[in-house]
Amino acid sequence: MKRRGRGIACMWYPIGFTVSANPSAATVKMNEDGTATVLTGTVETGQGSLTVLGQIAAEALGIATDDVHVVSADTDTTPMDTGAIASRTTYVTGNAIFLAAEAAKAILFEAAAPMLDVKVSQLEAKDRKIQVKNYPQRNVSIGEVALRAQAVLGTPAIGSASWNPPTVALDPETGQGKPFATYVYATQIAEVDVDDETGEVEVLRIAAAHDCGTAINPMLVEGQVEGGISMGVGMALQEEMLFDANGRHINPNLTNYIMPTSLDMPEITVDIVQGFDPTGPFGAKGVGEPTAVPTSAAILNAIHDAVGVRVYSLPATSEKVLTAIKAKRAAEQKQIPA
Amino acid sequence: MTDVTMTINGQTRSASVPPETTLLQLLRENFNLTGAKLGCDVGDCGACTVIVDGQAVNSCLMLAGQADGRQVLTIEGLASREHLHPIQKAFENSGALQCGFCGPGVLLSAKALLDDNLDPSTQEIRDALSGNLCRCTGYTKMIEAVQEAARLLREESRTQLTHARPEVATP
Ligand code: FES
Ligand code: FES
Repeated sequence: MKRRGRGIACMWYPIGFTVSANPSAATVKMNEDGTATVLTGTVETGQGSLTVLGQIAAEALGIATDDVHVVSADTDTTPMDTGAIASRTTYVTGNAIFLAAEAAKAILFEAAAPMLDVKVSQLEAKDRKIQVKNYPQRNVSIGEVALRAQAVLGTPAIGSASWNPPTVALDPETGQGKPFATYVYATQIAEVDVDDETGEVEVLRIAAAHDCGTAINPMLVEGQVEGGISMGVGMALQEEMLFDANGRHINPNLTNYIMPTSLDMPEITVDIVQGFDPTGPFGAKGVGEPTAVPTSAAILNAIHDAVGVRVYSLPATSEKVLTAIKAKRAAEQKQIPA
Repeated sequence: MTDVTMTINGQTRSASVPPETTLLQLLRENFNLTGAKLGCDVGDCGACTVIVDGQAVNSCLMLAGQADGRQVLTIEGLASREHLHPIQKAFENSGALQCGFCGPGVLLSAKALLDDNLDPSTQEIRDALSGNLCRCTGYTKMIEAVQEAARLLREESRTQLTHARPEVATP
């Protein structure tokens, strides 16, 4: 008989390690046609980070994301980046790009102030223009300002910056300290059906609420959450590297290493809990790895809710769940006084 | 050596290859069509999916000789120079691919489905994509994208029908 259960799991996850240097550097160049070029050493692996980094530069410069050309991941020519690792790109690389864009913007403001006859502090960059705050009708196009900065004033609008979450050593005696710059939080709830005759588990629904600070690109955040959940479903129920007695990996292929297909995926609801972290670019933190953290715990809790058994080793295969169900039944039988 | 001739993306192509050559090898190595990917070479992952005579197949499991005389569509043949195919457009708009390695296969599995059925249910979409493993996306946005593509294609066929309707003389 199929039994339904629900389980919940919460997590926090650290973003921007501080126990050793963790820098990102970036260069932002404002072009005379109003576009900008961003140079970053980080690498895109499909998560969409170059889009998000382009959005950060665009927002800082008051231009459109389409106006930004991001050049990445060439160790010969792009500035150093610690890497697309540890869910750090939006936060650490994003901060470097934000600072580089601000430096380029400062040069633009210096050039634009005399053009608009105001002080630098009265200017803002918006809608592809440098304009006077509260008087947007007094403006010059950002491309024109960039051209003037380089061709008349001899100060091309280019900014370079690096950002490193302040490195703080841990206490050598206690191992305590502040190992990360910031943290994200999430809760996922899983609903499952467990067949108590076969031990088979089907994940029906997962609701995932994630804090990532400001979600700079909500669609990409959702993509990360959904992808992380698929990894969590695999970890909970299917995926296992098997080794023989000699330590040889015996399932190094997709025939025997089973991962979720489109048929194994539950219906997913993603709730992005908007927060704001003052240390991140426009309040953003990160989202990559945290998405896979609570899923298996939520599923295993749901299994417990459905059939009352705890499985303590992953993946919770049908065999393990059924064995646990049988053990529970046997224990209950024993308790019945003769 | 086996001589093979087939229509690939509308063009007649021929090659002479050892008989054990798979269709995937033929496409990638002889014709330099590297859109279809080699993920596992044993039919597990679907990264090599192409369409042969209207059916999505794992090209790593088909011999080049078996495709002789048939119509093959690879990802390179899906978009035109002017625009993306509606399925590609829908995938792009919904952010349905991340690293993209599974993409050519997923898109062609989706195309084979939609060529047959312009109004598939979620379950039918899940079934059609079940042979395409994706490590990144969790499939959720892909399923939404196929639904969106189906909508776009239905609209397209409706407008084509209206345009194609012959003038009927009003009595
Ligand atoms: S390469 Fe053909 S199914 Fe994996
Ligand atoms: S998008 Fe990376 S495998 Fe599907």
